[in-house]
Amino acid sequence: MKRRSRYAAVSLTAALILSACSSGPSSSSGPSSSSGPSSSSSLSGQTINLSLSHHAWTTSLQTFIGDFTTETGIKVDVNVYDDAQQATLYNVKLNAGSSDIDVLMFRPLQNTQQFTQNGWFADLTKYVNASTDWNWNDFWQSARDSVTVNNKIIGVPLVSETGVLYYRKDLLAETGMPYPKTMDDLKAVVAKIHELHPDIFAFAGRGEVSAAVTQFSSFLYSMGGNWTDGKGNSTINSDAAKAAYKLYGGLIHDYGPPGETDMNWPQVMGLLQQGLVAFYPEASSNYDSAVDPTQSKVADQIGVGPIPAGPAGSKPYNITAMALGISAFSKHKDAAWAFIKWATNQANSLTIQEAGVPGARTSVWNDPKGTSTLAPDLLATIQGNSKIGVGYDRPQVVNVDQARQIVGAPIVAAIQGGDSNAVADQANSDFQALLDGQAK
Amino acid sequence: MTRRARAATLRASRRRGMRPSRAYNVFRVIALASVVVVFIFPLVWLVLASLKTQIDIYDPSKTFIFSPTLHNFKTVFGAQAFLPFFRNSLIVGVVSTALSLVFAVPAAYAMSRFSMTKSSIMVLLARVIPSISLIVPWYFLFAKIGMVGGYGAMIISHMFLSVPLMVWILISFFDTLPIELEEAAQVDGLTPIGAFVRVSLPLSIPGIATAGILAFIFSWNNFLFSLILSGSNTKTLPVAIFNFIGYASIDWGGLMAASVSITVPIIAIAMFFQRYVVSGLTAGATKG
Amino acid sequence: MSSPVIAWRAAISLWVNRNRKWILSGPAIAFIVLLLVIPLGYTLYLSFTDAGSSLRASFHFTGLGNYTNVLTDTRRFWPAVYRTVLFTVGAVSVEMLLGAAIALLLRREFRGQGIVRVIILMPLVATPVAVAMLWRLIFEPTIGFANEFLRFFGLPGSEWLSSPSTALPTLMFIDVWQWTPMVALLLLAGLTTVPEEPEEAARVDGANVFQRFWFVTLPLMRSVVFAALILRSVEAFKTFDILYATKGAGGGSMHEAETINIYAYGINFSDNRYGLASAVLVVFFIMVLVLVTLQIVARRRGQ
Repeated sequence: MKRRSRYAAVSLTAALILSACSSGPSSSSGPSSSSGPSSSSSLSGQTINLSLSHHAWTTSLQTFIGDFTTETGIKVDVNVYDDAQQATLYNVKLNAGSSDIDVLMFRPLQNTQQFTQNGWFADLTKYVNASTDWNWNDFWQSARDSVTVNNKIIGVPLVSETGVLYYRKDLLAETGMPYPKTMDDLKAVVAKIHELHPDIFAFAGRGEVSAAVTQFSSFLYSMGGNWTDGKGNSTINSDAAKAAYKLYGGLIHDYGPPGETDMNWPQVMGLLQQGLVAFYPEASSNYDSAVDPTQSKVADQIGVGPIPAGPAGSKPYNITAMALGISAFSKHKDAAWAFIKWATNQANSLTIQEAGVPGARTSVWNDPKGTSTLAPDLLATIQGNSKIGVGYDRPQVVNVDQARQIVGAPIVAAIQGGDSNAVADQANSDFQALLDGQAK
Repeated sequence: MTRRARAATLRASRRRGMRPSRAYNVFRVIALASVVVVFIFPLVWLVLASLKTQIDIYDPSKTFIFSPTLHNFKTVFGAQAFLPFFRNSLIVGVVSTALSLVFAVPAAYAMSRFSMTKSSIMVLLARVIPSISLIVPWYFLFAKIGMVGGYGAMIISHMFLSVPLMVWILISFFDTLPIELEEAAQVDGLTPIGAFVRVSLPLSIPGIATAGILAFIFSWNNFLFSLILSGSNTKTLPVAIFNFIGYASIDWGGLMAASVSITVPIIAIAMFFQRYVVSGLTAGATKG
Repeated sequence: MSSPVIAWRAAISLWVNRNRKWILSGPAIAFIVLLLVIPLGYTLYLSFTDAGSSLRASFHFTGLGNYTNVLTDTRRFWPAVYRTVLFTVGAVSVEMLLGAAIALLLRREFRGQGIVRVIILMPLVATPVAVAMLWRLIFEPTIGFANEFLRFFGLPGSEWLSSPSTALPTLMFIDVWQWTPMVALLLLAGLTTVPEEPEEAARVDGANVFQRFWFVTLPLMRSVVFAALILRSVEAFKTFDILYATKGAGGGSMHEAETINIYAYGINFSDNRYGLASAVLVVFFIMVLVLVTLQIVARRRGQ
């Protein structure tokens, strides 16, 4: 019995591969009755090792990942890590050229340069080219660019993410003010909420030095600043950047919870869920936990809006947050590709997006089902940001970790009410040294 | 006071059983009670938090009075599937401890009987070296011989901690075993090794138990080696606990339930073998 | 059985017994040396190179460059040294004092002594990572019990682990909570070896509790005190689990909990500057050795 179902599954894969246009069948449909020789039968029985990140995408995928094994006979070994652990493991395992990882989930803006330089990615170009039915061109151009290095494709985009502002609708309504259009409006409305509810943190945000950088980036761009001038010169002590540091860090200093400089998004989100936070800039992809009624007391009061405009307008980041790649040292590259292709095919991308994790496939976004489960205000903000967004949320260097520590220092100084301008000057020279070291 | 008089007073005071004053007794009871509270309260708190919902954890009015739920433990053993991590911790702990004993018992015996100072300094060195200086080179080594990701690398790394610990404990144990017994056995025709195996080894079972239990506890608690060297199927509990951090909002209840699940077995073992644990921890310290 | 076999057996037995010193200890020593010397050698080698980013890429010898960089680094390295020393001295001295007090309390038998001993054993054997998580919740500034407790007495809350100024003292507190029992048990074991007569004699001569302990009992258990001191300071010096689990790889936003160990971890695993990290590790190892040697010398002098 078992053997037969596996045979059927293999046949199904074959059928899927052979079919010219595979936009139709959902992954969770039952075994097909078609039969015939299979080109992927050699993959059946192999086990691939997945290194995935703690992310809503992973959670959603895990609800139906068993289907993949049923369909292909390829077994998967799923490992889920938090960011810090995963970064360490990649460093150690890929450095040692270990074949322990086949499929690796990564953050393009964080890892691409370094991993490429180190030769840790397998080149996926030939796989992508051979999978015409899977339709690479369906992914957004910007998303494809973020995983293409020197014309080589090194990953497949999974999650798109943009900077938004979470807020408490009821508290905003109480102030009688409209949703803040500009940074000055934001300051005013936050001050008003603080006045009405001193026990509520009117503005909270990530404050941990490295974690804060990405959410701060929307403020930096909107204030007219940037990390570099695009020619290898650090610009994080420009007047605009200094104003941005003062603004973001200052709001947290004045209205944020105690212990801010230790907070990453799980901590701030926890406070938001308990109704303790009024305004909170965070990634769109965390929407689900913000409105999770099992975790949150104020789930029905959480709204989402665009980042208010600064002197440069509203310029949130709008990025490809997550991607799947294959380790250069994998011994099961074909099976690994079969998995990536399956996980990112149109049907499964739709399933995951329906579960609330925005992806990067045009067809899914065009499909009414793909947007039906997104809250209207979230959808409007995401669509708005896609037109005005900046394609990176952190400095574009080889060693992003180090850069984040450097450019995040003025945020921390501002949160603590210190002289963020002086720290920005120091950080600027540190960052310049890092850029110069990299250029060598 | 003459010596005789002093001796008499001394005897008298001993007869009274050196009974301390009433005030001291009251003070002592209070002091002991505070010691107990200080050391046990955080652990009690841990258990309480593990029985709360996320919303209750954030609610100061529900600090001690709340309706307990096993929901968090369901998350730990259900959604987070902690059972395999228990299995891994157990396998790594038991196997590394057993193998370490095979290495450490004879070595400690030899070092005790032959006073091998240089060798025992080497063992001491292994106890003081900072662990992170070992990991990267080890990983390369293990990767070269294809041991990464399996139990092998984990077990070897834990043995590196266990063997020196055991040698340390057992040297001081063998030092207390009278050499005369072995000599007598040799007179009766046993070889020196025979005397070790037949006479000293059976006598050293308490010492071996001490070393074994302590090594198991340290293996169970080890974080750094397991973080780097554990593979897909060999992740141990201290590493798995991080599953509750860094995703969505921090799941305090789940985190605490996971902490309880890890800590309770090891505390139970330590309580059960309390005498051995204490003598292991204090081994080597009380000799001159 | 033929006689040559017996002869062979006897010969082997003789050989084994003659060389039993090395046959018994050889495997363990070889095991430790192999796992110790190879990494040490490799670390030493890397510390003279500019290895970074990928260890599979080629790198160059830079001589003592990393060491001069490390030893002149007043922004990360020396503050990390300072924190390590502060953490160790602060935590261990409190542990020694409290441990001695608890040991004296437990010295004389009383009903329930067993239970008290078991309870103080608990922090010792509890998994450090789990302990760190527990304290993270207790010291959470908004929802933690620590601030709730203070508020109950009308005192202002603290940011505990989260604030750059209070993180290190809070971590020292956690270390004290977890390891004071260790000191107490060691000193208690030491106390049992001390005869009661001299103390009683001093008591008869009118010495108070403190004088009796300081002038009579303590000198008699000097070696145990030294052993506890060595053990605890080396362990505190190397503390990793609790720091990592509460403050992460960088030791916090302002590196407020970054000890040498955490610093080395960070530049190794986050920044991938393997050459530099190796130099830090070598310096760190030398410091640990100096610490151990100093204390052993002090102990010898004291005797």
